[in-house]
Amino acid sequence: MTVFGHVLRRALRSLWENLYLNAMATTVIAAALLLMGVYLTVQYNLNTFVDSWDKDVHVSAYFHTDVPEQRRLDLRDRLLDDPAVARVRYVSEDEARDWLVERVDGVSDVLDQLGPGVLPASLEITATDPGDTTALARWADDLEGPDFQAIDYGQEWIERFQAFLSVLKLLGALLGTLILVAALFLVTNTVYLIVYNRREELEVQKLVGATGAYITAPFLLEGLLQGSLGALFSTVGLWAVHVLLIARLQDALALGMAGELAMLPGRWLVLLCVTGIVLGVGASIVAVTRFLLRTP
Amino acid sequence: MIRLYHVTKRYGDVHALQDINLHVAKGEFCYVTGPSGAGKSTMLKLLYGAVRPTSGKLLVGGVDVARLKRRELPGLRRNMGIVFQDFKLIDTRTVAENVSLSLEVIGTPRADIRRRVQAVLSIVGLRGRGDDRPQTLSGGEQQRVAVARAIVNDPSIVLADEPTGNLDGAMAIEVMEILQAINLRGTTVLVATHDHGLMQRFPYRTLRFRAGRLESA
Repeated sequence: MTVFGHVLRRALRSLWENLYLNAMATTVIAAALLLMGVYLTVQYNLNTFVDSWDKDVHVSAYFHTDVPEQRRLDLRDRLLDDPAVARVRYVSEDEARDWLVERVDGVSDVLDQLGPGVLPASLEITATDPGDTTALARWADDLEGPDFQAIDYGQEWIERFQAFLSVLKLLGALLGTLILVAALFLVTNTVYLIVYNRREELEVQKLVGATGAYITAPFLLEGLLQGSLGALFSTVGLWAVHVLLIARLQDALALGMAGELAMLPGRWLVLLCVTGIVLGVGASIVAVTRFLLRTP
Repeated sequence: MIRLYHVTKRYGDVHALQDINLHVAKGEFCYVTGPSGAGKSTMLKLLYGAVRPTSGKLLVGGVDVARLKRRELPGLRRNMGIVFQDFKLIDTRTVAENVSLSLEVIGTPRADIRRRVQAVLSIVGLRGRGDDRPQTLSGGEQQRVAVARAIVNDPSIVLADEPTGNLDGAMAIEVMEILQAINLRGTTVLVATHDHGLMQRFPYRTLRFRAGRLESA
């Protein structure tokens, strides 16, 4: 307990005497975590969008205009017999027209001029399991025939987008690793400057019998504080970026197709904070160990 | 207290020490002397584990220093006091804080530290100077602070590497008198020096080195 008291006093003293360098290390950690946080926020929201689209994925089959109404309803009922089908919605020409008119100003006159058959009736088929791409593909094949003029198989686009997201994740992992390594390098060198400033004291401590742990401990406390403060600042920064920048971007680009752009969930923020602390403490260990190995 | 058996230390092709055999008894006062490059400092460094012998066996208080692991060195050094020619005081700490370093590393409670630091500052004639910064003291006073730091934890051995090298005659005598007083309390003292005047004024056993060899013991 007495040793801990000495260590704590030395850590606080070093923090005060090396305020500028400690602030620099904290800033580097905060900046690295903020960069990673912004990237993770973007990726988290993209994933959320894809998940919500995935749940809503369906096959849209557009009828030829000359297919009789009864035939259309028979086809709908036949599809409903398939256990892999959760729902089949028949959208008549009038409903399709109403849907479009409701969303696009002035389109009504254009549709009048184009005449009937511009917006064909359709069946919207939703799978029991939205991820069952095999079933969706099977229906897309089955529906090819004289009754339908076009089949819109949305899953294909989503799969392409998911592939893009996978590449984005890989790039993110690489970028994250690069940011972490760069931050570790910068923080380690900053802490090493603090160690260097105190080298005479540390050398004397070694000569009077201080153990490696005794010499390292105050730097670990400093690293812990740097990491914690860095994590706190980056979380505040992330919130500010979210409120000031992303929310405005969302308004400007009208991206609200899947609700509000979300802040990172709590567990991801905790992970960022832990990363900050590991970064601060890890850099201190590397810097002090480097010094200890160089002094007799 | 100190025993060397055929100890050799080489730095590359240079023989800093060659085939040294010697014995220093507990409570003895010895000079380690010789011209520059004779191996005096290397000899002391071997004793506090700053360098390892290339060959031979080196016992300090029964411990084979050459075989000590890095993490075991603090245990050895806690039983030693080391004094350097350049004092090695920390300018940003007060005199009392400099002296208390040796006690802090072994977890001595603060109240005990205060008491022992005051006592040892009295021994070296610096009572009342505990709150001063080292740079406000004279060279002799700074070396006395270094001696105080070396003896505050009652070590069984004090190693002093040219402790009077940066001091004028009167100050050098003051420091030597303190080392002598420490020795009279039973502490083994080894002083590396080439100041023949001091050796004549304070006559003790002399270990004379030349070109890495022990000429006379």
